[in-house]
Amino acid sequence: MAMTEQIVIGPMLAALGSIVLTLSTRRFRRLQRAVSVAGGLAYAGAVGALAWRVVLGAGPAAYQVGGVDAPFGITLVADELSAFMLVIAGAVGAASIAFSAAYVDPDNQAVFYHPLFHCLLLGVAGSFLTGDLFNLFVWFEVMLMASYVFVAFYGGEQHTAAALRYLVLNVFGGALLLLGVGGLYAVTGTLNMADMARRLAAPAAYGIDVEPVLGLSALLFAAFALKAGLVPFQFWVPGAYRAAPLPVVAMLAGVTKKVGVYAIVRLYFTVLGGLPVQVDVLGVTGDSALALLGPVLLLTGTASIVLGGLGAVVRDTFEETFAYSSIGQVGFIVVPVGVAAMADAEPLRRFAIAAALVYALHHALAKGLLFLATGAVRSATGTNRLADLGGLAGRSPLLGATFFVGSLSLVGIPPLTGFFGKFLVFDAAVRRAAATGAAGAAGVVVALLVGAVLTILYTSRTWTRCFWGARTPPVEDAAVDPAHAAAGAALDREGYVDVIDPVGGVEE
Amino acid sequence: MSVLLAAVVGGLFAIGTFLILRRDLVKVVLGVAVLTQGANVYLITMGGIEPGSFDTVPVLATHGDYVPDTADPLVQALVLTAIVISFGTTALALALTYRAYQENETMDVHQWR
Amino acid sequence: MKTTARIVVPIVFVVAISLLLQGHNLPGGGFIGGVLTTGAFALIYVAHGLDYLEVGVLGRDVEPGAGVFEHRTVTAYERAFILGLAIAIGSGFAALLFGEPFLSQTYEIVHDVPIYHEIELATALVFDVGVYLVVVGGLLTILSVVGAE
Repeated sequence: MAMTEQIVIGPMLAALGSIVLTLSTRRFRRLQRAVSVAGGLAYAGAVGALAWRVVLGAGPAAYQVGGVDAPFGITLVADELSAFMLVIAGAVGAASIAFSAAYVDPDNQAVFYHPLFHCLLLGVAGSFLTGDLFNLFVWFEVMLMASYVFVAFYGGEQHTAAALRYLVLNVFGGALLLLGVGGLYAVTGTLNMADMARRLAAPAAYGIDVEPVLGLSALLFAAFALKAGLVPFQFWVPGAYRAAPLPVVAMLAGVTKKVGVYAIVRLYFTVLGGLPVQVDVLGVTGDSALALLGPVLLLTGTASIVLGGLGAVVRDTFEETFAYSSIGQVGFIVVPVGVAAMADAEPLRRFAIAAALVYALHHALAKGLLFLATGAVRSATGTNRLADLGGLAGRSPLLGATFFVGSLSLVGIPPLTGFFGKFLVFDAAVRRAAATGAAGAAGVVVALLVGAVLTILYTSRTWTRCFWGARTPPVEDAAVDPAHAAAGAALDREGYVDVIDPVGGVEE
Repeated sequence: MSVLLAAVVGGLFAIGTFLILRRDLVKVVLGVAVLTQGANVYLITMGGIEPGSFDTVPVLATHGDYVPDTADPLVQALVLTAIVISFGTTALALALTYRAYQENETMDVHQWR
Repeated sequence: MKTTARIVVPIVFVVAISLLLQGHNLPGGGFIGGVLTTGAFALIYVAHGLDYLEVGVLGRDVEPGAGVFEHRTVTAYERAFILGLAIAIGSGFAALLFGEPFLSQTYEIVHDVPIYHEIELATALVFDVGVYLVVVGGLLTILSVVGAE
């Protein structure tokens, strides 16, 4: 095998190596932190090299772990979609780990914080790269195992309760995933995604019953939607985000939710896309599994947007505001996916998927920035309650500017990423409304508008409450550590860098 | 055989769901464990259980003429992986349960502060 | 209990090691060997307590009152875990050096060895030893830390 192909497994090797190195340097805290940050950068570098290879170079690449060939071995596949998602993971991961080294209390990060963080990165990379449905389950579990521990990390009673809820729910979701995977194996006789797609595209030739596939895909959809935190599976989100350390929350909101969305896109568009099946359920008719996915995604997506926005407006801490906000933002990501699933014409389908991806990138960067900024606020003032804060902008202009940029991006002000994301999402929804003229399609556009207005409402609310006005005692006494603000600002800059090339995703 | 296994899967899922809905945290964790075992048995069933031959199961070559029904080796490998994962998850859940008990001095989920 | 442990533990160890060594082409392997070894250690732990390996076997003193994480046996378990992880992943990296995919394995049959005549040396064994150490170290760490609560 040529050396260039080895790049496919690069991100996972970087994470694996970092796990071992951070574990073996655990007695030397400063060294461990340095190794961990270097590992995060190596991960981002490997992801960059892989994306370079896939998007600008030789196209999609497959990799057989251990040299065992496709139907039996463990296959990794890097195509444009997974490369794009990995780039998001690399950017947010490297920034979060650098921020962790500065922000998380040294005693807390001494033993297992860094190895676990790299374990999270490993699971994310595995989920994006795997070409096999069962391994998708395995990598999900790797990722979740690390995040369970992070949710319980601070060890208060609320943290333990949140971690248990999160764990029980996700194990249940994992069981659903196993049911779907096992059923698909029984129906198609393979677990390899490419192989399965080929067989499902010609069911008669392989003797496959197509009807069970629809039900099994619905099981898988429920499991993935739980990971993405879509309404009606959103209830674990606020508790888990309130409990976990903030740099990890930046990862959870920015990246692991996207893994759920990615899995939906991968399953329905890559694996089930070619399945010829007549759908006629509750008035929904069509000739592929996508016809069923479209309305479901539009419904859950718009519900997420409205419920997340409303929830964010009434919460009284930073974390909860942004946790609800990210429920809404995931809605913004899946609505264009739903538009793509219902699109008849290939150009609109490609365009809507691209819109979803650009929005995913925007959300990962903006929400990552806001959560890291929240971390900086909490470590400076010791509180995260909106009521206790005021006048932060005057106290720490750099922090204020960081937060301001993040908020503007979330609202969608050009030239920040949010503008391009929202623009493309609205464009896709309006094109669909124009193409079909159905009342439902117009309703989606209305829901998107409501969501956008709610976003303005809750970002301006946090901004005016905490950054303007008279300084409250916690703010007056705040020890503004330049390192924290600088780490936040680093991601800030990244936000700008990505703005320069926001249409990178449209190529896909 | 398949009917028996289907009944077992159904029973495990029923017990698991019932236990998860209890107020006692230990029972919830046990329910989670039972549920994942249900999923594992289901996986084995989905692989199909067929009369084995010496070609598909080389180990049987040393076991005389009698060849029993055998499960698909691929799903056995999958289930092995899933068992290891659920083992780790259950261990973590039990540790968290103990911590929750220490913090709240009750196992009743409804009495959590 | 102690008598049972005295008889059973050596047998379990031998079976565990043989499972580990034959794992690359017969039923067995690092995971199951590791679990069996853990069972043996767990039996010792239940029968004699955590300090027994230090005081009774190695003849060293145990500092009373220190936390379970500072206990020398537990740190040894942790080291076994990390070493095993390093060996397993390192064996995967070794394949990269030869231009093969990650985790590629090969084997060599060595002839003319006294007593055994021929021995099959498989690189998969290195990976298995790594897995074995991870399982033993990880499970025993969990067992002794949770057991100390």
